[in-house]
Amino acid sequence: MAELRPLFVDLCGKLADPCGRSITISIPTAGCAVAELRALIAAHDDDLATLLATTRVLFCVNDWIVAESDHVMPGDDVAVFPPVSGG
Amino acid sequence: MSREVTLSPTPIDPAEVLRQFSAAVAGAGAVVSFTGLARGTTRDGQPVTALVLESHRSLTLRSMEDIAADAHARFAVAASRVIHREGRIAPGEAIVFVATAAPHRRAAFEAADYMMDRLKSEAVFWKREEGPGGSRWIEPTTDDAADLARWQNAGGTDAGRTDHARD
Repeated sequence: MAELRPLFVDLCGKLADPCGRSITISIPTAGCAVAELRALIAAHDDDLATLLATTRVLFCVNDWIVAESDHVMPGDDVAVFPPVSGG
Repeated sequence: MSREVTLSPTPIDPAEVLRQFSAAVAGAGAVVSFTGLARGTTRDGQPVTALVLESHRSLTLRSMEDIAADAHARFAVAASRVIHREGRIAPGEAIVFVATAAPHRRAAFEAADYMMDRLKSEAVFWKREEGPGGSRWIEPTTDDAADLARWQNAGGTDAGRTDHARD
């Protein structure tokens, strides 16, 4: 088994409703793809999984919007965005 | 070309911001300003006790700065000022203030209109209304999308208005 390290994930907007604005997800020390992180977040909570499955979300890593094929590392700053409402 | 964009966690005083902006652009020829206020009712008439705007610590401001930069690239404006509230906003308080200064009025009006349409649809905020019945997230509206579409594929200063006239 690969060693796991904590990754702090901010949940923005309505994604914060099930579990609050921040959750901790364990990812491999070598990191993982954003798509794998999405699956790990969904596995964290059923209601969050439902929201992720029904909402078009974007992943923000270290202040940039990234693709699901991009890589996240332990220690990265990760936020998940539902569609923005505008001001 | 000066432009200043800020996020404010505390109430905005639009009259004072306009006074400072106008003083700084003395001689510009035209100054236009717009203030958006929090409404006391939802779209279907229910009372709202507060509007809550959540932001992201870096992308929200960056999205607003990109919109202001695009307005300056697109219209002949000399200066602009954008202030947007974040956090909990009471009905009647200003949510957003936009001011533009230009040699002539058309560019000032259109740059302010353009920035507002994009701020209302593309700025990185998540907002919810709080009322006696609880809290409700506001999703992007089709009106906002239609307002935004006015400016797409419109290279000049008035092509967007032609599209809008068909509405």
